[in-house]
Amino acid sequence: MAKKKRSISETMTTVLVEDNAPLVEAIEEEQVSQDLATRLSGICERPGVLGFILRDTTTATINLKEPEKIVDYALLTSQVLESSQEISQMFNLGEFGSALIEGKDMKTLCFVLDKNMVNIFMEKNVDHADVLNSVRQ
Amino acid sequence: MSNQVYALALDNTLREIKNVCPDVTNIFVFEENAQTIAKDDETAQETINKTVDAFQAIKAKSETAGGLEAVTIQGSEGRVNIASINNFYLATVTSKEADEKFVNSLTRILIPTVVKLVDQIQPAPTRSNEPAITAELELVQESIKEPIQEPVEYAYQEETVEEVEHAEQPEEETPTVEETVAEELIESVKEVQAESVEENGLVLPEPPVTQVIVESLGRLQFKSDTVRVDNSVVEQWKDLYGDRIIQEVELDALNGKTIRCKFSPIKDSKYQGKGVIQIPDKIQATMETSKGKLVMVKPVVE
Repeated sequence: MAKKKRSISETMTTVLVEDNAPLVEAIEEEQVSQDLATRLSGICERPGVLGFILRDTTTATINLKEPEKIVDYALLTSQVLESSQEISQMFNLGEFGSALIEGKDMKTLCFVLDKNMVNIFMEKNVDHADVLNSVRQ
Repeated sequence: MSNQVYALALDNTLREIKNVCPDVTNIFVFEENAQTIAKDDETAQETINKTVDAFQAIKAKSETAGGLEAVTIQGSEGRVNIASINNFYLATVTSKEADEKFVNSLTRILIPTVVKLVDQIQPAPTRSNEPAITAELELVQESIKEPIQEPVEYAYQEETVEEVEHAEQPEEETPTVEETVAEELIESVKEVQAESVEENGLVLPEPPVTQVIVESLGRLQFKSDTVRVDNSVVEQWKDLYGDRIIQEVELDALNGKTIRCKFSPIKDSKYQGKGVIQIPDKIQATMETSKGKLVMVKPVVE
């Protein structure tokens, strides 16, 4: 019996992109943020780390062990960033690297990484330098 | 006490800190109410005001962290640290080359030492109700005795009695930064006191409160109602009150127990300047304190 010839047609989708650069950048940024969020979630498992807020240009990822304090933490971190940049400019500290806010009960580490604003909340006995190195690796 | 005395003392201290550590580019001290207490010559008042405003803005939002103790901002070219020290805030700006640990050790020991010295020389009515001095001040006491130095590896070996005695003999040393600052401070405060006497007539200063470490006097002591106080503390009282008669002291334990008793200076030179008080067991029991604990002592001026 002779075999029948089969015609296979592939469906192709054509995408017209006028300027693909911003799209690629956005996808890359999203990927970086996701990777960072994954890394930060890992750090949150460490004893004494209370959570983090990760902000990129459009979205924020929040992981806190005390969700009722989201607003307080968010306000604090915004103020820290604003005041730190102001102080940095006044004393010619150059590019902003990080800010550490030490309270009586806890401390907050704020820094910028790949256009993402990272805020990590931890108990006072946690080694913040080690946390910072772990995130930046 | 007016802030004038603190300002005078801290101005000298800040100058010394900058001399010792040139990587400190700006340094100033301000109060809770944002008033500047002391500053270096290079820092403009406007810059301080803006920094304090920025700091206060963070402080206002930091209740969730249980109150603000310190802020450290790291930039690519330097670092700013604002830390609460006693009732003041110390702001230190350093270049990126600065040794962070050295600067922190220097500032966090010197400033509390100076503030404590000022308090001791002329205690402030406004500051005398502060809670009992904490471990930070214990560190300060240690630091007064030991100059800052590079870590040294010690080789431990058995020492003969003669060697030990020889080692205890004070050697002629160049004054440390702390000693220099302390001397300048005492001179400055005396000047201010002299001015005050000229302006207002003779004013008897508040009895200084000194923190001392309890040592046992043993059970064979002659007088069970008399404590023995470090002679250097007694000398300070004599300097302060001149011919006034001081026969008794008031002791405050950190648990709130207070007792008034007779005192005599410790004559043994090995206790000179050690900040100790020898208390008979009976009085220790009454105060619920013991050897190694801290008590506050102040003279009862007749």
